[in-house]
Amino acid sequence: MFKLEFLKLRKKTRSWLGPILVFWLIMLAYPLTVEFLRDKLEIGFFSVLWIAILISMMLATEGIFSEDYNDGSLEQTLIKNPSFSIIIVTKIFTHWLLIGLPISILSFVFSLGTTEDLSLSLSILPLAIISSYIFLNLFVLGNALSLNKGSVLGALVTMPLALPVLIVLGKGLIAIQLDINYQSFIFLLLGSLSIIIVAIPIVVSYVIKAHLE
Amino acid sequence: MIKKFIHQFASPKTYLYQVSRFYKYIFYFSLIIYIISIIWGLFFTPEDFVQGNSYRIIYLHVPASFLSQTLYLAMAISSITYLIWRVKLAAYLIIAIAPIGAMTTFIALISGSIWGIPTWGTWWQWDARITSTLILFIMYLGLISLHNSFSNHEKADKLLSWLVIVGAVNIPIIKKSVDWWSTLHQSASITLTDKPSIDPVMLYPLIGSIVGFFGLVICLVLLSSKYQILHREKNKSWVKDYV
Repeated sequence: MFKLEFLKLRKKTRSWLGPILVFWLIMLAYPLTVEFLRDKLEIGFFSVLWIAILISMMLATEGIFSEDYNDGSLEQTLIKNPSFSIIIVTKIFTHWLLIGLPISILSFVFSLGTTEDLSLSLSILPLAIISSYIFLNLFVLGNALSLNKGSVLGALVTMPLALPVLIVLGKGLIAIQLDINYQSFIFLLLGSLSIIIVAIPIVVSYVIKAHLE
Repeated sequence: MIKKFIHQFASPKTYLYQVSRFYKYIFYFSLIIYIISIIWGLFFTPEDFVQGNSYRIIYLHVPASFLSQTLYLAMAISSITYLIWRVKLAAYLIIAIAPIGAMTTFIALISGSIWGIPTWGTWWQWDARITSTLILFIMYLGLISLHNSFSNHEKADKLLSWLVIVGAVNIPIIKKSVDWWSTLHQSASITLTDKPSIDPVMLYPLIGSIVGFFGLVICLVLLSSKYQILHREKNKSWVKDYV
């Protein structure tokens, strides 16, 4: 199942490369917009980084179900597989592996390039990995809710749920910079992720069933 | 007997007739309570030692904030009821509550901003309580727009119910935001477990305003749900008789 989803997504180059390139472009565009602060780029860098991850994850989920929904294969899969939520988990994981993980690694690279601080950039990596997975799950829910209605509506209805994560990321970053216990923020994100990773696929499977009924 | 009562009351027809019967009593009772509490709070309570007269906005701000979260909880309970027992009335209630929830959240945000100017020196702060309340407001708008984007009412009800349940995660965040983060916003003055930190002279009109505002908002919900029932059940013969 994983192999099939992986191959399906890999074939659609635009779907996985697009969000990575958008992330890349946002991060490249950032220094161009802060001419007068060139020597203090790190001041706003992390805010841009988190928002770039958020936007890229939003784009990554665009069309995650719509193609399968339109050609009828989503309905077929639902009828054939009683454990539909497992397929959702696989879909989300595949998307994260091909889009979320590269973006997290790029976050580390950009962080290192901007701050020239290896330990800070290494601390950013787990935050980027976990947050990208959380965002992906949330936007998958949005996409499922607005199936066939355009991804903007879905993103709008689930975006408020992503805002607390952004707040925690901001707090985590301050903790890293002040050299206080930032692991608590990682545990908080991991705790949220462990709930989301179970709950969202179940909810999404019911939402898709509601669409197909 | 209770089961029979719930079963009967869950029928849109019975609900509509019962609402029409009790609506005016709830409305007048709440209106009187609210007016008395507001007059008491505005004119017959002393000035606050620190905040002066500006604290009097609590008689609007606190009831609105309380209702903004309570209404979302009511929507979450209705969503669970609809998804598990397929009670149509619960689905009507969800979409009837959403705009009123948005309205009370908006009142809470605006009155909080007005209160913020004399007390904090700013009308807005990206504080955990205020931000999470703003998120609640956006959630309400998102719920309304999601429901309106589907012409198939049954599908819209199901999708809305799922989103309401997922979004309910924001309620404990709002409630606990003043404890989990260091915020400008003060902690709750009235809790179920501790003695109120507010003076009884100010507390009684506050409780009255909460009860009155609650009743008035309930009346709005009843009216809105009545409209939903009449709109969604318009082809039923009993609706024609009712109208």
